[in-house]
Amino acid sequence: MSVECHGRLFRISVIQWIVWGLLLCGCMSAVAADRLVVYSVNYPLAYFAERIGGGHVEVHFPAPAAVDPAFWMPDADTVAGYQGADLILLNGAGYAKWIERVSLPRRKLVDTSRGLAGSYITVTEGVTHQHGPDGDHAHAGTAFTTWLDFNQAAQQAGEIAAALSRQRPERAAAFNENLQRLQEELLQLDSRMQALAAAQPGLPLLASHPVYQYMARRYGLQLRSVTWEPEVQPDDSSWRELQSMLVRQASHWMLWEGNPRMETRKGLERLGVQTVLFRPAMNRPATGDFMTVMRANIEALTVAFDAPD
Amino acid sequence: MDSLYVAWRYVTWNRGKTLVLIASITLVAFLPLALQTLLNESERQLRTRALDTPLLLGAAGSALDLVMSSLYFDDEVPARIDMRAPAVIDESGLAYPLPLYVRFMARGAPIVGTTLDYFDFRGLQLAQGRLFGLLGEAVIGAEVSMRLGIGVGDSLVSSPDNLFDIAGVYPLKMTVAGVLADSHSPDDRAVFVDVKTAWVIEGLGHGHQDLARTADSSVILRQDAGTVTANARLVQYTEITPENIDSFHFHGSAADYPLTALLVVPDDDKAAARLRGRFIDDSRYQLVRPNTVIDGLMESIFRIKQVIDAVIVIVAIATLLTIVLVFALSLRIRREELETIFRIGCSRMTTVRLLAAEILIIVTVSAVLCAGLLWLIHINSAALVQGLILR
Repeated sequence: MSVECHGRLFRISVIQWIVWGLLLCGCMSAVAADRLVVYSVNYPLAYFAERIGGGHVEVHFPAPAAVDPAFWMPDADTVAGYQGADLILLNGAGYAKWIERVSLPRRKLVDTSRGLAGSYITVTEGVTHQHGPDGDHAHAGTAFTTWLDFNQAAQQAGEIAAALSRQRPERAAAFNENLQRLQEELLQLDSRMQALAAAQPGLPLLASHPVYQYMARRYGLQLRSVTWEPEVQPDDSSWRELQSMLVRQASHWMLWEGNPRMETRKGLERLGVQTVLFRPAMNRPATGDFMTVMRANIEALTVAFDAPD
Repeated sequence: MDSLYVAWRYVTWNRGKTLVLIASITLVAFLPLALQTLLNESERQLRTRALDTPLLLGAAGSALDLVMSSLYFDDEVPARIDMRAPAVIDESGLAYPLPLYVRFMARGAPIVGTTLDYFDFRGLQLAQGRLFGLLGEAVIGAEVSMRLGIGVGDSLVSSPDNLFDIAGVYPLKMTVAGVLADSHSPDDRAVFVDVKTAWVIEGLGHGHQDLARTADSSVILRQDAGTVTANARLVQYTEITPENIDSFHFHGSAADYPLTALLVVPDDDKAAARLRGRFIDDSRYQLVRPNTVIDGLMESIFRIKQVIDAVIVIVAIATLLTIVLVFALSLRIRREELETIFRIGCSRMTTVRLLAAEILIIVTVSAVLCAGLLWLIHINSAALVQGLILR
């Protein structure tokens, strides 16, 4: 074969690769254009949307890692991102008060706990406190960590799947298949929690923060809360409040949203209280995902329920 | 040609008489045609807006008030409904609702409290800036921007609800986030805000210093274990800024917050019919088709127009008789002049041609003037109807 013939073949091959490349780019951009843009107000909902939507959705959860998404206030650019989404996943139950202060397109809002509205837990006490870089806040109103009742979390996931299917009916089968898998995993967590709580019914527990109401109701936990922050050393009055709670009913375990300071941990140990890390996963975890965090939470709680009373 | 020249010289010499005749003929021709043009345009605008709005839900009462307030932002405020109404429409699964709260004004422009979906529904485009994003932001219509000379970044203050109510709601200073492109519709002369901002203007939501942490004890009326009650000295914020937005909150049940109407967009005609059936016997709400209401209004307008037409016909007849009289008297005054024309050898037909040429010149000038005025009316009819009729 002549040199000229080789050169011609080489040119044809290059042109073929360019054509294939362009076709591939075209297909990829078509797929990207077809993807639903979903914004979420907290991490659990973002995780559910990612699991259900798979490659057909582009999930955004723009809250910075250091903030509590429940008490965050997004800036105008972030609000514009929410406004431009195809769907905006709300937790409902009064979660994310910032929604009251911004304008979001009503048709795109999906209240994932809409079906649970009749069973919301009303919180009457509300001590104003501060954590992270956000402003002060109180928990009076409606308890909002609905997903810590894993049965409720499964229902919220169902709402997300329904909303995605309404937007993309042609993908409904895939969404439902993914939903079933997710709900199975959530209900496994639910079963494990129920089994755990059944091991020592009525085991008195403490919570460092009033965020475990739905979990306590679902699994029959005897839980009393203080309003302590992991990164803040409790003051004298907080210790006195805890001591009086312990006098009324002894408890050896306190659930924490994050690892408490060493001084706090030692102070608790002096009162005979051990710490259990049970993270609500409101924000995206540094490692792992919602499922790994919840499995770790249940493992940590197992220690309390397996221990002799 | 000579007759036209002589006639032209005559009408230019008798300017006063000629001008009066031209003005009379022009007005008699122009008035009914201009009225018809404006009525056609107003009918087109009313019907277009009404046809673009499938259904309106409001409190039981005047359907016309409901339509005029919700579609054309008329001053008359219809009876209010509350936020339970959108839930009723949502639960039907047949349509989606767009809330409207049209009650307040800002420098002569109606403030329309709604949601972002309204802009998509009406197909409104932005000429500058962005849509409202935060509480207290506004998007203004093109005419408001031009009339008040304000644009993105400027402020607009809501007008007090009642000048004599000194304990009433505070005016709210709103920031203009965007300006809409001209749409030749009532949207051009409105100020759009989020419905929550309208509720802040109403006083249902407000921001103020944190009572739990304030050092100024003079603003506290009573303090219990979990409740702090402020007195009237507590100053509420009259502008929502990034610094104070966190302090803004709403009181009472969200379900009780007011609306003036809901724009209801059904999935299809069948859904619209089913939805209308559900509200036929409802004592709280009325669900109306704006097109039907506007049909009724147009019938009334056309009845009035028929009366006006009759008046114009009578005026036209009187004007024509006056013109005939003017010419008859003119002939009598010009008897000697016409006699001279005859004596110098011109025929009687020449005299008739001269008079016909004079009439032709006057009628032609009137026709040109009338056509010019009608053209002006035609090209400005949309704005004139907006400014004069649908205001």
